[in-house]
Amino acid sequence: MNPTRLKALIRKEIYHLVRDYRSLYLAFAIPLILIILFGYALSLDVDNVETVVVDYDKSELSRDFISKLDASPYFHVAGNLVRTKEAIDYLDRDTAAVAIIIPPDFMKNIQADRDAPLQILIEGSDPNFAGIIRGYLTAFTEQYNQKLLLSFLNRQGMEKISPPVDGRIRIWFNEDLESRNFIIPGIIAIIIMIVGALLTSLIIAREYENGTMETIKSLPVKAGELLLGKAFPYFFIGLTDVLIAMLLGQLLFGVVMKGNFFLMIIATSLYLAVALSLGLFISTVTKSQLIANQVAILTTYLPSVLLSNFVFPIVNMPKILQYITYIVPARYYIDILGGIYLRNTGFSHLWPSMAVLMFIFTLLTSLNYLLLKKEGL
Amino acid sequence: MTLSNSNSIFVENLEKKFGDFTAVNKITFSVKKGEIFGFLGANGSGKSTTIRMLCGIITPTSGTGSVAGHDIVTEPEEIKHSIGYMSQKFSLYEDLTPYENLRFYLGVYSVPPSEWEERIDWVLNITRLREEKNRLTKELPPGRPQRLPLGCSLLHKPDVLFLDEPTSGVDPITRQHFWNFIQQLAREGITVFVTTHYMDEARFCQRIVMINEGSIVASGSPAEIIAAACPGKPQADLNDAFITLMTRTDN
Amino acid sequence: MNWLRIKELVRKEFIQLFRDKRNRVTLFVAPFIQMLVFGYVVNYDIRNINVALVDHSYTYESRKLVDTFEGSNIFHITHYATNDDQMEELLLRGKVDMGIKIGPDFAGTIRKGQTASIQIIADGSMSNMASMRMAYTASVIEKFNLDTIRELYPQQMSYGKIDARIRTWYNPNLDSQYFFVPGIVAFLIMLISLLLTSIAIIREKEAGTMEQLIVTPLKASELIIGKTIPYIIISLAQLSAIIVVAIYWFEIPLKGSIILLFFAACLFLLSTLGVGLFISTISATQQQAMMTTFFFIMPFFMLSGFVFPIANMPTFVQWLTYLNPLRYFLVIIRGIFLKGVALEVLWPQFLALAILGGLVFSGAILRFKKRLD
Repeated sequence: MNPTRLKALIRKEIYHLVRDYRSLYLAFAIPLILIILFGYALSLDVDNVETVVVDYDKSELSRDFISKLDASPYFHVAGNLVRTKEAIDYLDRDTAAVAIIIPPDFMKNIQADRDAPLQILIEGSDPNFAGIIRGYLTAFTEQYNQKLLLSFLNRQGMEKISPPVDGRIRIWFNEDLESRNFIIPGIIAIIIMIVGALLTSLIIAREYENGTMETIKSLPVKAGELLLGKAFPYFFIGLTDVLIAMLLGQLLFGVVMKGNFFLMIIATSLYLAVALSLGLFISTVTKSQLIANQVAILTTYLPSVLLSNFVFPIVNMPKILQYITYIVPARYYIDILGGIYLRNTGFSHLWPSMAVLMFIFTLLTSLNYLLLKKEGL
Repeated sequence: MTLSNSNSIFVENLEKKFGDFTAVNKITFSVKKGEIFGFLGANGSGKSTTIRMLCGIITPTSGTGSVAGHDIVTEPEEIKHSIGYMSQKFSLYEDLTPYENLRFYLGVYSVPPSEWEERIDWVLNITRLREEKNRLTKELPPGRPQRLPLGCSLLHKPDVLFLDEPTSGVDPITRQHFWNFIQQLAREGITVFVTTHYMDEARFCQRIVMINEGSIVASGSPAEIIAAACPGKPQADLNDAFITLMTRTDN
Repeated sequence: MNWLRIKELVRKEFIQLFRDKRNRVTLFVAPFIQMLVFGYVVNYDIRNINVALVDHSYTYESRKLVDTFEGSNIFHITHYATNDDQMEELLLRGKVDMGIKIGPDFAGTIRKGQTASIQIIADGSMSNMASMRMAYTASVIEKFNLDTIRELYPQQMSYGKIDARIRTWYNPNLDSQYFFVPGIVAFLIMLISLLLTSIAIIREKEAGTMEQLIVTPLKASELIIGKTIPYIIISLAQLSAIIVVAIYWFEIPLKGSIILLFFAACLFLLSTLGVGLFISTISATQQQAMMTTFFFIMPFFMLSGFVFPIANMPTFVQWLTYLNPLRYFLVIIRGIFLKGVALEVLWPQFLALAILGGLVFSGAILRFKKRLD
């Protein structure tokens, strides 16, 4: 490793980047847009679901049921309609997600100790939301039923009866249940892949396409120096991106890191190194920008969005895909991010993931080094 | 338009600025039909910028001009039917074979397909690439690929041929071949506009314009230029004239 | 417009694309892989909730509670912890989604007819998943309570209860794949067509071949058409391939007209190719083009209603989504696939796609100058 040569290579790569200033400011603009969009506009959480009610019973019980529902944080009764058809219209036009239809003899049935049917319609085209809403509604009716049972037993002359078990649910790690608290850290992993792997996947291929690789081979430049020189500027762009993302997440959206800042920087540098080595490796192997581009999207960007536990839970995947996720670097980094951002765990918990990242990095870099050596560098 | 019938290129006060930088500074000249016209200058003197304006690749900042009877500012697309252009950089598809390259350009120049066979044959002959016509251009032996662009630029039988430093990086034998061929084209009535900085090549030109820092510094036949630049030196050649002219304006 | 020129341009483009064997592979294998992976990955159906249990009671009652959890087939007690620390550690390491702690006085309290508390700690990291898990937990506890009350008071129990008949429309089984797979089709088409067109023109610039094209009589409009036709053909071929995967592998029913679907795809391609062309006019290198493409694709993807519902977005952002061609194409493709609806319902989306595509494409053509300065 010769410091003068290395400096020259780094300077050359920086010139490429600065001359091509749009790539450079896109490298900063994309993270900004992602963070703002995810922090501000996108959410996977369900609350205040727009609900319309058609109350044919108009009894004390039906009114109590509706007002209890409205009082829960999950539902917002947006309208009392007269006819079922109107409610269906609301669903069709997507202005309400739930329609509750209370038939005429609702209260009479309960008083006569008969089951009282209640019709609930959910706009189900988005299964994530429909699933959560259905869960809420089932739990809500069951709770209401339990009250009905207790009052039934009381009416039978029993003493005051209390429910046997009360589940006290506490939420850990993401106490407010805000999806942005896990999505924003996840975005950091995606950004690193875009800047680290997608951008760099082109830069060795470009040397081959332009024929400048021949010149480089004729120079006393070593393979290791070339790799380091190429990676260096992108490493700093990536790191700056992450810092911007962290800062914005905290300032604009209150997504605060619970763990240690330095651990975050170390883990991020490690992951960034993996991303860079992956991008450069693709570049060396493909030698063509068009193909490098396709391969990079397929092997870096998509897996880090899809197979990393970012917003798509790994536990829900088929077994074979679950195994595949073990070779996706983003999976380990997202695990680390969860530890630092949400769970407030330290090195003692995170070292296995970091060790895997280290291993992937070493493997890719050595492979790339050997390949370039074989090419005559 | 002040175009005489014998002029195939005519340019008046042609100027091109890139920001504050004046690449071509109000030049005026004309080229006769069937003439080999040399456009000489050091690197960065404005040669390529002029040629690119004449071919309609870039738009002039001011001035007028015409090529093959069409205005370079208002009718650049009409010009393109009658010109052939060979750029300084290799600009054909390296991932196509010579045959595929030629076929593509025949299509683009909308030469009737019935004539394709004959034209491809002709070009493969003059470029001596018949053997290699079905090999990828990037895999041709060294020196061969450079012959192809000239062939491509002649495919549609243009009236005016623009050659931007056609012989840079070409060995002397091939260069000799090349100039013989150019002279033959000129005899057939094709106007050849060529830029170069090889002074020994400039002697093949009937007329020369020398340009330095965007301005014309001399014009005429090679003998006239030598006489004007180096008076009283009968041994002087174009090289001496070139150096004298280029250094004079530097002072 | 000279069709001979366009024909030769298209021909050349195909030769270049398929000359490199690796390109053939990436162009046709990649969409298959993406489709398969995507189809399985985007899944919010709760099938497993892994639970760590601390049972300090260890009685008939506590056993029964645990059985009720496991009887749901969703909760799985994967770890039996002996103390709180162990349970918390399992949560910290992400080994379990939930910890349940049953206190020593659990059975006694119930037998006395009082309410016994159990502590449940849920990993809220993925908030949407956590919300669903909480709802399931509440249901299981209610079921246990009902059973226990029946046991405690062995008498006539025919009380009146509400029988909520919940139906989910359009997707009765709440199958994630029904919702997402058609969306993936749309997304993949966008990704491929956008990226390939922008790069197709940049490549000519980078290789210097653009200069040669400019001195030919090829018109800007012919160049654009010749450059887009190959990618329209490739995109439609890929569309057919991934539709086959959607129907035969994922068994998504195609209820509507496939011809209408292809027609919609053509309108949609007008926008994506237009954006691709636009990117190519403002980029000088492939790296730039790729970054710019991502700059467009990410918001298109996120503001389309693909994963994140538009109804949840702030009003201003909802307005922005009207500029997103993917938004309309998603409604169309889901409508045709799942609801089997046709133009009488989808005409506003078709119209929007046509207008948007027309504007973007003609804008790109106007911007596209056949000059280099």
